[in-house]
Amino acid sequence: MSPEAVKELMKQKKPDEYNLIDVRQPGEYERGHIPGAKLIPITELASRLGEIDPAKPTILY
Amino acid sequence: MLRNAGFTNMSSMAGGMKAWKGFVSSGPPEAGMAYFPSAARPEELIALAWSLEEGSRRFYGAVTGSIQDQDAMAFFQGLAGAEAGHEATLLTLYQEVTGDRLVAKIPDKLFPGIVPGEVMEGGMRVEQALEWITGKGISDILDLSMSLESYSYDLYLKMERTLTDGNARRVFLVLAGEEAKHLESMAALIEKRQSPDMP
Repeated sequence: MSPEAVKELMKQKKPDEYNLIDVRQPGEYERGHIPGAKLIPITELASRLGEIDPAKPTILY
Repeated sequence: MLRNAGFTNMSSMAGGMKAWKGFVSSGPPEAGMAYFPSAARPEELIALAWSLEEGSRRFYGAVTGSIQDQDAMAFFQGLAGAEAGHEATLLTLYQEVTGDRLVAKIPDKLFPGIVPGEVMEGGMRVEQALEWITGKGISDILDLSMSLESYSYDLYLKMERTLTDGNARRVFLVLAGEEAKHLESMAALIEKRQSPDMP
């Protein structure tokens, strides 16, 4: 999904209607992230899937 | 992995963060969340948010009085007006959450130990922000404003995601929506200022 399409989705949907997940490391997240993105580093994703609602569109970056 | 866990509607953003050209927020995941206690009632959260909006309104109002550029002055006057609009939205939300439709302002008792408007969105003290911008150019002031507003938008979204009380979550969903519109307006005005056609 292009960044423009992500932006458009964020405009069209309310924040509680999609999951935006930052899979980078904490330091990278701290230096700059998309507002509202939830940090779940890729190495932790498998064990933290319960924190994400599978019924909603999910965007990872 | 995600498909096996039942995720059927998922995408990865092409190019990652490096390709992103929209608003950016910084700081750790928990940044700013201590300002809004998780045990606070929805009306208390509204009061805290109102205080931040009042801080931003005071900041933009003071900036207006400190610059000579007429276009920039009008721009910051617009921002101060938008913050006053957010305060009105919060008062309406307060009336809905408490059921008291006749209340004209958020009661003082909901600001224990804080001076409403002392701190602005982004968590900076208004006096500190005004001190920082002394001698700085319009671009620097705009950069600071965008940074603080992005931080605020990020914080409201995180609070909405974290809280469990439905009314409390609604407060932050409304606030996040208002901030998103505000950021879009700011970005449009900044782009207009950067236009080669701008006198």
